[in-house]
Amino acid sequence: MGEVIVVTSGKGGVGKTTTTANIGTGLAALDHKVVLVDADIGLRNLDVVLGLENRIVYDIVDAANGNCRLRQAIIKDKRLEGLHLLPAAQTKDKTAVTPEQMEELCAELKKEFEYVIVDCPAGIEQGFKNAIAGADKAIVVTTPEVSAVRDADRIIGLLEAAELRDPKLIINRLRARMVKAGDMMSIDDMLEILAIDLLGVVPEDDLVVISTNKGEPVVTNEKSLSGQAYRNIVRRIKGEEVPLMDLESEGGFLKALRRLIGLK
Amino acid sequence: MCSGSKNNAGKHEQQAKADFELDTLFDENTILVQRTLRSGQSITYDGNIVVLGDVNPGAEIIATGDVIVMGSLRGVVHAGAAGNVRSVVVAFKLLPTQLRIANHITRAPDGEAADSDVPEIARIKNGVVTIEAFNSEWQGK
Repeated sequence: MGEVIVVTSGKGGVGKTTTTANIGTGLAALDHKVVLVDADIGLRNLDVVLGLENRIVYDIVDAANGNCRLRQAIIKDKRLEGLHLLPAAQTKDKTAVTPEQMEELCAELKKEFEYVIVDCPAGIEQGFKNAIAGADKAIVVTTPEVSAVRDADRIIGLLEAAELRDPKLIINRLRARMVKAGDMMSIDDMLEILAIDLLGVVPEDDLVVISTNKGEPVVTNEKSLSGQAYRNIVRRIKGEEVPLMDLESEGGFLKALRRLIGLK
Repeated sequence: MCSGSKNNAGKHEQQAKADFELDTLFDENTILVQRTLRSGQSITYDGNIVVLGDVNPGAEIIATGDVIVMGSLRGVVHAGAAGNVRSVVVAFKLLPTQLRIANHITRAPDGEAADSDVPEIARIKNGVVTIEAFNSEWQGK
């Protein structure tokens, strides 16, 4: 029996879909059987980020309403054996699926997959309610911005009200240099407000944009710092203890040299 | 927006006899879509669809007959949706996310973006969906 994890944030554009794609790909790369569920009906993106858009025939609405069998709507990834996608519908809206149907779908998917990861739409309305309906666990994504943290806080409250206890936090797009200069909220600032367990910190990285446009999640990129951050997150989801990366040392050779000669 | 023009068939027949066998060409089930279809927009019609505009990725056109796009076709298209294998898809730029004719489903090979300067036509030939340059020598079905 697998577990259903919902990736949510409240605010849009903080990286829910990117996070979902990377966690799913990372888990599948470690030979787990994973299905990613795009709950953003009407504004689907996950298929595009995974480069699977042109394979969609049936979608989550078809599966929920019995127009097709669930198995028919699930798309296999083109690279990783264990990775699957249940795409959202693009021509419908959030009301096309009810929370009860989502619960049923998730229960069905759990039987077959080790991890069911639900990509939640932005907002706190029906789409959010659908996405969390069948979830066992929640991951809240935020960026180091006051507005994103505010929305994350609201979401954590709503998750608690829905009895989804103990959500985990991912801080996305952190710029160590700006934090150091005091121009950006630090990890501690955010943890102080949100007061939930930290699952990982992903640094700002151009490679994320490049890989997203190519339809290849950055987690598979051995050389990238953000890819490493996602790989660590994946291991933590599996229950391993992995220390946080030292993002401060990012900045390459010059900084390393300065540190060597004691200039900090 | 589905303004299928239903002419008086009897009147049309008379007129057709006067010229030549126009009734073999006559098809009352066509709609004209005079705008670009954007992501999430969808048109389903029991007949042919002509689009004066583009069909963007994420948009969808489903017709029981033919589909003609006077622009770029980048979304999902389904011609002959009720099973007519003689249906065709024509577009100035034929670059669909997915192309379906009757019960055939095709997509472009991964990582390949074949660009053509001429209008193209997709149809089923010997059981496979084939895309060719469209020219006026094409004599229909």
